[in-house]
Amino acid sequence: MSDEKTIVCRCEEISFQTISDTVREYSCSSREVKLRTRAGMGYCGGRTCRHMIDTIVAGINQEPIADEIQLSYRPPARPLTFGVLGGMQHDNESR
Amino acid sequence: MNSFDVVVVGAGIIGCSVSYHLSKAGYSVALVEKGDIAHGTSSRCDAVALICDKKPGIDTEIGFKSIQLYKELAKEFSFDFEFSTRGSLYVCETEQELEIASGYVAEQRADGYDMKMVDQKELLEIEPYLAKDLKGGIWTEVDSTMNPYLVCFAFVEEAKKYGLKLFTHHEVKGVTKGPDGRVQSVITDRTTLHTNRVVNCAGVWAAKLGQMVGIDIPIQPRKGMVLISEKTKPVVSQKVHEFGYMLSKFEDIKYKRNVSKLVEENNIAFTIEPTEADNFLLGGHRAFKGYDISSENDVIRGIAERAIRFLPILKDISCIRAYAGIRPWVPDHLPIVSEVEEVPGFYIAGGHEGDGISMAPITGRMITQLISGEETDFNIDRLNFSRYKQLERVSS
Repeated sequence: MSDEKTIVCRCEEISFQTISDTVREYSCSSREVKLRTRAGMGYCGGRTCRHMIDTIVAGINQEPIADEIQLSYRPPARPLTFGVLGGMQHDNESR
Repeated sequence: MNSFDVVVVGAGIIGCSVSYHLSKAGYSVALVEKGDIAHGTSSRCDAVALICDKKPGIDTEIGFKSIQLYKELAKEFSFDFEFSTRGSLYVCETEQELEIASGYVAEQRADGYDMKMVDQKELLEIEPYLAKDLKGGIWTEVDSTMNPYLVCFAFVEEAKKYGLKLFTHHEVKGVTKGPDGRVQSVITDRTTLHTNRVVNCAGVWAAKLGQMVGIDIPIQPRKGMVLISEKTKPVVSQKVHEFGYMLSKFEDIKYKRNVSKLVEENNIAFTIEPTEADNFLLGGHRAFKGYDISSENDVIRGIAERAIRFLPILKDISCIRAYAGIRPWVPDHLPIVSEVEEVPGFYIAGGHEGDGISMAPITGRMITQLISGEETDFNIDRLNFSRYKQLERVSS
């Protein structure tokens, strides 16, 4: 990734430069990078950029990516309207 | 080398504030944390500093003072934590709720706090997307909001200027005492820190640290789930919550809402707040589930159900994320800000339940006053740890 302006997190429009600057300044984990920059906190919930962020952070910190998940996965699996979530009827269920 | 005036355990909002205030007062401070900064409750919460959800008396007094302190810190700090005073609104569903709310407001106003009742028409002028059938509510202009983890980072960055040493990814394994019973050192999985003052800011994990010095701290985790909306238009311009929220927080208020079984059983009460990023945080929920922070589908549904009842516009707005956190609950809903008599040099700043962000500045200040032997801003006899011993004596 030579172009520092490359967007890594498309939902929140966070660039490679912003992420790498943050890691260098605070020598922090991908989780902390997420909180400080909002990378991975957008509409897709980090589904697109999670691995990229982990890789950038590991590269700068000179640490291999740990086996455990760095950036957490949160429900719902895809965005759903509050109307669907809060509706009393769920078509695909018998309850 | 590894010797400090004070070792603060826990880098959540309370530990960060305590570390900042102590460092600024000239103490050499080590802040020890098993994970990252704001690793636990402080990154799994919402972030408001309110007086409208406090009980009249000391709860409100220290809450109000804390908001004033935040205002000063927001100006002073070079690190922006997205503080703003947007106000907050309580909404009432029934005449009966409105009546209880009026009584509450009268009590708070008598103590000099600026809260006022608004009727149905005013309610919709303030927040036009609210359901049209709501009876009215309470408007509290002073109530404020910020970003919960950025405020932790802000305290730490400012404290570093005064020499704070940060020990993240250090798990405390033991606290040793000298022959005189005074704390002597904090042992982590990676090092030993010598000190004769320890401040327990471990939040929901405070009891575990208490056990290490042989005391029983009655803090228990109380779970809450939050749903995050997509970025959207301003569906509300401030914190809005149903008056029933008070009922879910304090067990001693006897009033039953007309709600579904799902909402009732999961102790759900509507709350929504705007963020700087234009996402909205929705809740709220209170349950005792130990240290479990898994997301529960029923709770997600209940929160969404309750949310569209108060803000029908949310029906077509997406929920992009849900998370759960655990609050440090104590039986009498007042934080513990105290030295522990039996263990000289051991202090507790914890048990704020859902008010940690709210009360962090005043807590940091008063712990610093206690350690310096100065008079505290408020008479905090009621926040003393020994109150639980007295309770035991009464009940036995």
